[in-house]
Amino acid sequence: MSTLPVTRQRLAVGAIALLAIVLSCLMTSGLLASSQEDASDPSAGGALMLRGTGKGVVATMPAVRLGTDMDVTVSGQVARVRVTQAFRNTSDKWMEATYLYPLPDDGAVDSLKMVVGQRIFIGRIKRREEARAIYEKARAEGRKAGLVESDRPNLFRNNVANVGPGETVLIAIEYQAPVRQLGGEYALRLPLVVGPRYVPPHTLASTAVAPSVAATTVAAEAGDMPSEAPLDLAAVADAEAVTAPLAAPALADVLNPVSITVHLAPGFVPANVISPYHRVNVVETGPIERTITLAAGEEPANRDFELRWRSAGADPTVGLFHQEFDGQRYVMASIVPPAAARIGKPQPREMVFVIDNSGSMGGESMDAAKQSLLHALTTLRPEDSFNVIRFDDTMTKLFEHSMPASADQIDLAKRFTEGLEAAGGTEMLPALKAALVDDAAQTKGNVRQIVFLTDGSLSNEREMMAEIAANGRRSRVFMIGIGSAPNTFLMRRMAEAGRGTYTNIGSGGEVNAKMTALLERLKTPAVRDLAVTVEGGSFDFTPRVLPDLYAGEPLMLLGKGPALSGKLTVSGTIGDKAWSRTVDLAKASDSPAVARLWANRRIADVEAQRWGGQMEDAAADSAIADLGLAYGLVTTQTSLVAEDETPSRPVGATLTREELPLLLPAGWDFDALFGNNVAAARPDALAAADQSRPVELPKTGTGFMATLLQGLATLGVGALGFVAAGRRRNGKAAA
Amino acid sequence: MMRFPIWMRAGARVGGGRAALRALSLAVCAAGVAIAAQGAVVPLKAALAQVLLDRAFAQSVADGRPVRPWPWADMEPVARISVARLGVSDVVLSSGSGQAMAFGPTMLPPTTGGRADSGAVTVLAAHRDTHFTFVKDLRVGDEIVEEHVDGRVQRYRVVAFQTVRWDRFAVPGDPALPMLALATCYPFDSTAPGPLRRVAWAERVGSG
Repeated sequence: MSTLPVTRQRLAVGAIALLAIVLSCLMTSGLLASSQEDASDPSAGGALMLRGTGKGVVATMPAVRLGTDMDVTVSGQVARVRVTQAFRNTSDKWMEATYLYPLPDDGAVDSLKMVVGQRIFIGRIKRREEARAIYEKARAEGRKAGLVESDRPNLFRNNVANVGPGETVLIAIEYQAPVRQLGGEYALRLPLVVGPRYVPPHTLASTAVAPSVAATTVAAEAGDMPSEAPLDLAAVADAEAVTAPLAAPALADVLNPVSITVHLAPGFVPANVISPYHRVNVVETGPIERTITLAAGEEPANRDFELRWRSAGADPTVGLFHQEFDGQRYVMASIVPPAAARIGKPQPREMVFVIDNSGSMGGESMDAAKQSLLHALTTLRPEDSFNVIRFDDTMTKLFEHSMPASADQIDLAKRFTEGLEAAGGTEMLPALKAALVDDAAQTKGNVRQIVFLTDGSLSNEREMMAEIAANGRRSRVFMIGIGSAPNTFLMRRMAEAGRGTYTNIGSGGEVNAKMTALLERLKTPAVRDLAVTVEGGSFDFTPRVLPDLYAGEPLMLLGKGPALSGKLTVSGTIGDKAWSRTVDLAKASDSPAVARLWANRRIADVEAQRWGGQMEDAAADSAIADLGLAYGLVTTQTSLVAEDETPSRPVGATLTREELPLLLPAGWDFDALFGNNVAAARPDALAAADQSRPVELPKTGTGFMATLLQGLATLGVGALGFVAAGRRRNGKAAA
Repeated sequence: MMRFPIWMRAGARVGGGRAALRALSLAVCAAGVAIAAQGAVVPLKAALAQVLLDRAFAQSVADGRPVRPWPWADMEPVARISVARLGVSDVVLSSGSGQAMAFGPTMLPPTTGGRADSGAVTVLAAHRDTHFTFVKDLRVGDEIVEEHVDGRVQRYRVVAFQTVRWDRFAVPGDPALPMLALATCYPFDSTAPGPLRRVAWAERVGSG
């Protein structure tokens, strides 16, 4: 029996091991359960779309009807636009109406007129709080008042108080915006409707910190909000400000009609004047002038209006304008880089495509986005590497790391793309973070390009810019705005922060032309390391951080200085060759818009510094307020307010407030978006103030399968024990 | 050599360690059986209760008043919901307690907001792995029929789904149409308790 001690020892070890297994089995399941309970699941926002736009859907005609007229004058490279909104009270009550509308994100609103019958009241620029106080006082005293506020550079809200029964009040605002030039084509875009915005839940929790810090700390909880976090009232107010109730599709034909007239005087003979999204009449009103009107007279405000034209002659390469304002000289120069000179073989690239498949993309937008991506995938070369990321309120990376663009991988990516369906909220930040992760930062000579395909229907734009500012590094960000009413502010500023460029694709029919043009621009080397010098003068130029220039895209430079003289030189490098262009400032032609465009562009600089963390929130706000007051512009910190001195609403008559509903942008799938939301009208935090009632849901999982499996596993371990004991015995008998 | 079942060999001369191992194994097996039984009884109880509840429900409808399914039950059937497409039919119980939920879906009581006084919104809850397994398979457009003990029959159509934390859920105070919400735990295939709930929303499309 010399083996006995050994056997015994083995048995002891076996017994201990058995016990350990059983115990660990029982314990881990318990531990797992508790840890899971604490973990915040990123899908908590889940299938619910557009949490923030809890203002619901309006199925009946509003009491106050709105009609909009736009009168545009394009002179040279600047468009001056007068937007007149007629608020007609069809009810027998005294009404206050508020209407959310978009303007070009580079538009500078500088004038407000309120027209009541024969009387005109001129708006004054005030600090936001002061303007609101004036408005509210007038409202309370029964006097008519109008207020224009802005919550994003491209989102404005008109308020008009004390509109009497049957009365009509006109609110006319005016703004100017530069005309965009791209590859010899000029484009004027008039946004007509604000697409419903997704408000990421985490931005509403008071733990969501100021954007300057957000870049580093929001990372952890992006996508979810701590369960017990109190609401950040400012954030809730902001979300309220950028959202509006939606009109049911049945009202689409009769609500918010808009008429548009464009007087086009570009300074050369315009050719190929087209409006891709609306039918228009073009009338020749002079040798170099055209007047464009909507063919239908009026159209519903459910898609952006765009007008494009070219020059019948050779492309002008430099546009130079100046203005004297308040003793200062302002200059605007648009400088076109040289036509694409191919320098050898293009460098290999890493391309990351990020595609938005959130609910707001449902309908035509999703198809256009998919087509665009499929098109882009076919243009990849074998030496390129690529990845595809899709996001709604969740996200998926096709590959963990970018993969070589072999035929197999591209096929895989195509299938992945074709299978995408639009649903869920728009949590873009995690996708952006994932796209910015640069695995090959050390690879020399490799170009890294991130291409976003999205409608940008979200309210946390600032977090995106902050993220790019913090982690953009060598990645270049290109934005493709999809659909009939994309958030152009987000497109432009993300592209600017990411030193890329942007384009809009309004419909499936445009995909090929626009994508080909964009991909071509991405392929040709950009003009980098731009510098501006003025010989014999000092100018304060904006943008402060000069962009990379892509083929056919001009540099729009705005400057302010004491005197207008000398030569302006823009220099840079293309590939490894130097490039420069000089213009004589004395040759600038007069334009009354330059000073305000300078101020508006400078405000964008301040915003960029804020996102980049170079400027504190308070300092940025006060800088913006100063610019707004000095140049009379509506900004996030300054508003225009107009008031009547005499009361019109009788004492005792009550005032009813109405927020006018917006149309859903054309091509959006109402059901895909609201099938989900009509039902749960306001199931989110924003609803707190409303009549909805919170309900605590009970625990609804028995977890019996786990218990059953655990039991069976334990049984199995016991059985093993028996087998082990049996085998020991057999072995011994044989011996 | 002949092989005997292990218990017949129990008397064989074995080392003390071996006996201990055998005893331990036996204990472990017993524990395993007990645990497994605890798990297995859940779906059995859930299914059996529904049989009794079905009977009680029929009786309730006949009597025009709620009848308890078994004498010591602390809840009573209030309605029956069925989804024809999925072949689902469950009797709904009055109390929203976890106790009742072992037997069937429960209607959250008005005090917690489960049913407004106007009856505008009804919230039903049940376990994801027993009676509300089918919530996973529901689709927008599915018809849910709710028969009440007082004989009323109401039809609802599924219009939306929502994933929400248990403490972040709210129901509309004054919806255009009466609504029915079916709530269960989420994710469906998880066995561990978690903070998320999946809610299927249905809108009343008609009565009778």
